[in-house]
Amino acid sequence: MTAVTATEVSDEERGNSQMRPAGGGRFRPSPIGWLARAVIWAGVAYLVLVVPLGQSPTDVQQFTRGVCYAVVALSLNVMLGYVGQISLGHQAFVGVGAFTSAYMVTTQGQSFWMAVFVAAAVGGAQALVLGAVSLRIRGLYFALITLSYGLVAQDNIFEIQELTGGGAGQQAPKPQWFETEWRYYYLCLAFLAIVLYVDWRMMRTKSGRALLALRENPRVASTFGINVRLATLFAFVVSGVFAGLAGALIAHNDTQVSVDVWNFNLALVFVIMTVVGGLRSRWGLVIGGAFFALLPYLIEKIPGFDELLADIPWVPRVLTPEIAPLVIGPLLLLINLIQFPGGIGQQLRPITRWLGGHRFDIHDKGPKEVQITDVRA
Amino acid sequence: MSVLEANHVSIRFGGVQACREVSMAVGEFEIVGVIGPNGAGKTTLFNMITGFFAPDAGTIAYKGRDVTSMAVHDRAALGLGRTFQNVGLVKGATVAENLVTAQHLQADYGTVSGMLGSRPSIATERRLRAKADALAGVLGLGDLIDTQVQGLPYGTLKRVEIATVLATDPDVLLLDEPSSGMGPEEAHQLGDTLLDLRKTFGLSIVMIEHHVPLVVRVCDYVYCLDFGQLLTEGPPLDVRNHPQVVAAYLGEDPDPAAVALEHQLDSLVEGN
Repeated sequence: MTAVTATEVSDEERGNSQMRPAGGGRFRPSPIGWLARAVIWAGVAYLVLVVPLGQSPTDVQQFTRGVCYAVVALSLNVMLGYVGQISLGHQAFVGVGAFTSAYMVTTQGQSFWMAVFVAAAVGGAQALVLGAVSLRIRGLYFALITLSYGLVAQDNIFEIQELTGGGAGQQAPKPQWFETEWRYYYLCLAFLAIVLYVDWRMMRTKSGRALLALRENPRVASTFGINVRLATLFAFVVSGVFAGLAGALIAHNDTQVSVDVWNFNLALVFVIMTVVGGLRSRWGLVIGGAFFALLPYLIEKIPGFDELLADIPWVPRVLTPEIAPLVIGPLLLLINLIQFPGGIGQQLRPITRWLGGHRFDIHDKGPKEVQITDVRA
Repeated sequence: MSVLEANHVSIRFGGVQACREVSMAVGEFEIVGVIGPNGAGKTTLFNMITGFFAPDAGTIAYKGRDVTSMAVHDRAALGLGRTFQNVGLVKGATVAENLVTAQHLQADYGTVSGMLGSRPSIATERRLRAKADALAGVLGLGDLIDTQVQGLPYGTLKRVEIATVLATDPDVLLLDEPSSGMGPEEAHQLGDTLLDLRKTFGLSIVMIEHHVPLVVRVCDYVYCLDFGQLLTEGPPLDVRNHPQVVAAYLGEDPDPAAVALEHQLDSLVEGN
């Protein structure tokens, strides 16, 4: 059959454009509108790029962790948001990435760049192997497989002395030129920007569209010529690569990786921050990831918070920095369920759209509105 | 020579023989109708032809090639396009996004090159979008191109679905009740559209259809199924006046178990 080209049917097209109601043209902000947007953009840039310069190294290290968690959220979003499959073993992907990078630098004497590359590749390879055997099943059963993989990794991969350095943990020095906390912070921001770019391009090309189609209706997707199983596996690998990269960045931020942090609690925090951040919303995911990474730090920063809680006898001592994300997270998740299935991303959407040069519309929920039934378990 | 052939296909689901020894042939540029009461096994036949179910016995041949055990997406790649009874679209996406997604196999750039935003990938994307606009124009959907699919009227959805399946660049189109949800006027227009499409795109069409005037007007040949078996076949008017067909439509009730099963299978396949 002959392919349709734009010229063949340009007549019909013209006819249609005449039928279009007047004033339906693209909205363009006024010069003042542009100025207002530019001011907000500059404010965001100032907050992200300039404010950390005036903070102490320990604070900046926390901000860097926020950037790394944003990468984790973007990684989980590929499975959770685009494909609609839950991974409950993501802490293992991130953890293996962290140990791989530390091992490459400390034991193998490789450069940081090589180590990060290998960590991302190992993350992808893990997903490839696990996905190849488990992606025949979907939903709840896939979630359970990833859950068991996380536990298996905890008890086996993280027990390999050579890789993890045993109880003392593995050293992961910061790379040359990026030894200070500030420089390393900007390096991580650059990696986050790359991940955001790749994610954005993916969703604007065939691979991303295939994922959105198969999440909603795998059978229709297959009649479009999409190999559903292969596309899902591809998404899992992309998610694994992002996770491995995030792990490597976390490792060199902490300059030391120890075994005990990569437990199931962390996997839960990862899932919660992704959902609270907002599936399929890059803005929301970055904010959600950063927020949950900084939550323990923020709680410590509240002056007198500890004493305040200690003074109220019937409040259980749950808001310790370690546990706080697991207490505050579910509360935010409840708000998600009731009011904003699209999380922070959905709440911010009117503003982010406006910043992108569109008309301000407080009711804009976006064409890809998240629904509670999105993830089929 | 026939483009698409089903040779004595049978399939059984538990106690119900959904199709028994059904044979059909679709010639090039032919429009073939499949009629029959509810639960006759028409959609099941489509599901076997497109690859959602593997027949227990019999073969499916497409362009002289045995495709009986080929995956759905591979058959789609060979040019077998289909629509669904309950509208097979990505409902959360816009009309344009559906039309572009359906051109998955014509996006000839590599996955990684697309993810890095290479120039050929961006040029290809632009071409896909232009084709989406063109196809929407052909089916009179130009105004709705950036509208979300969810919420469009049913008759419009059916047209969007036809545009979408055309975007997959098919040689044979299998339409499952294309006129359902349409009034007589719209159904008449659909007939014109189908005849036009056959001419413009050089298509062969197989359609399951209940709207008899439409079948009589556009179909070259008609198969009538009942209780999973071929009741009769022939030119539309002969089939319509065939005493057994009249009896099947007006006479005895169909096996309720078969009707229930077919509905169940439909919703299974369409994921609704």
